[in-house]
Amino acid sequence: MIRAILIYLTILFVGIIFLASMILYAIPALQESTFVLPGVSETQTDAGNTETQKESLNKEVEKLQVKLDKFTPTSAYIIVNTSDNHFFLYKGSQLIRDGKCSTGKNEKLTFVNSKKVYIFKTPKGVLHVQSKQPNPVWAKPDWAFLEDGLPIPPPGDASRFESGTLGAFKLVLGDGYMIHGTIYKRFIGQNVTHGCIRLLDDDLDVVYHTLEVGSKVYIY
Amino acid sequence: MKNNSAENFDSLFEKKKHGYKIFIILFFLILIGIVGIYTYFTVGAVRSTMESAKTEVQGATPVNPSLIGLMKNKAWVESRLKMATDDSIGMSIDLEQNEIQLLLKGVVIMKSKIKESSISGFFKRMDGNVYFNIFGSPLTIRHLESSIAKNPLKVIQAPTTADTAVVIVTAKDSLQKGKNSPPKENIYWTVKLDHNIELNIQGIDSITKAQNKYKLGKGFEFQRDLKNIKSSFEHIIKFQKPNYTPEILISIPENEAKAILRAIPKNASITIRI
Repeated sequence: MIRAILIYLTILFVGIIFLASMILYAIPALQESTFVLPGVSETQTDAGNTETQKESLNKEVEKLQVKLDKFTPTSAYIIVNTSDNHFFLYKGSQLIRDGKCSTGKNEKLTFVNSKKVYIFKTPKGVLHVQSKQPNPVWAKPDWAFLEDGLPIPPPGDASRFESGTLGAFKLVLGDGYMIHGTIYKRFIGQNVTHGCIRLLDDDLDVVYHTLEVGSKVYIY
Repeated sequence: MKNNSAENFDSLFEKKKHGYKIFIILFFLILIGIVGIYTYFTVGAVRSTMESAKTEVQGATPVNPSLIGLMKNKAWVESRLKMATDDSIGMSIDLEQNEIQLLLKGVVIMKSKIKESSISGFFKRMDGNVYFNIFGSPLTIRHLESSIAKNPLKVIQAPTTADTAVVIVTAKDSLQKGKNSPPKENIYWTVKLDHNIELNIQGIDSITKAQNKYKLGKGFEFQRDLKNIKSSFEHIIKFQKPNYTPEILISIPENEAKAILRAIPKNASITIRI
């Protein structure tokens, strides 16, 4: 009796393995092979005509490529990868410098007694350098006080202004976003900022002196 | 008497052996039948997908096979040019050069070398007209699923006093200091494009490591196959042809797969060259 059950179970097991391997591997492989589909029909054409067509196609591709290449700025621009916290500074198609940076921490700051929210992330897309400034003074926005659990001082209050926090230079990108230095050098390479792009001193120096007002900043 | 009982036992054993044989034959005939029906329907689904793709370009002048390479080049550049006029980030996948690029306003902002790729037989058997109908202009993402959050946003409650803020900052500081290397995640994402094309991208740093990491197959292929089989069976039980989705599977380094996923918009444009 036990022997019979064992035999039936073995047959069942072999059957299941067969079915599973067919359905999981053999049939999908057959489905994805070119074997099940008819071949592409070859059409014969006049050889001379083909050469002319090839030539004109080559010219068209060249023209299109030139058009496409024109989209790449000839002047300096910077690319910022917010996922890896890395920047690449280019002049035309030549990479001048690359290095670590810090970008937005991807946080939403909420309040117990208020519906107000602040989202701390670096915007993606193309921005432009709107202005440049050496020895910048940080005019602390409201969130800087709220994040520290402090009351918001009136605009222009002395407690709003801090020297040295932004490093030696700042490049303004608009909407409160900037490229600047940092005193928190140990956090470079991490997502820790409120949306700005922080660089190390040496990198900031090169970026500041390479990018012009109007230079493009590509962020992804 | 003794002889009689021995004969009875032998005949009983013979009958049992005969029973096994019939069972084995019947069982495997049923299995082969199931496999045959399943094969017929699934293969039929590929063929009908190709037929409907050809119907879309019916009447078009056949493409000269010796010009296909150049025409593909033209379609590729044209497609990228169209994408360059877009304000958002687009992706171009070049399976000829094994490279993925992210483009923003026509500028290549990221390049990633493809480690491994595979495409459905459907793409290998397309004629010129079907190819240009599908890949002649940028495709749009219709649906996106990923193993990690696309736009992670941590919600933080603002401290009510300066003392609680100090506690939070100290805790965060010690946490950041410990973050020498980011935690390893399984990164894969799949998008549905126009023409019912599925694009699967998985992050793998080394193929051997990925095999250990994902155990079954390389990444999410096994999970995806199971989903397809379930859907196929549902159709076959109703005697309908199952759906067939031509697929492109691409493996790139993990951090790059993550960066691309986070960079592209949900309805991004994608150009593909095969």
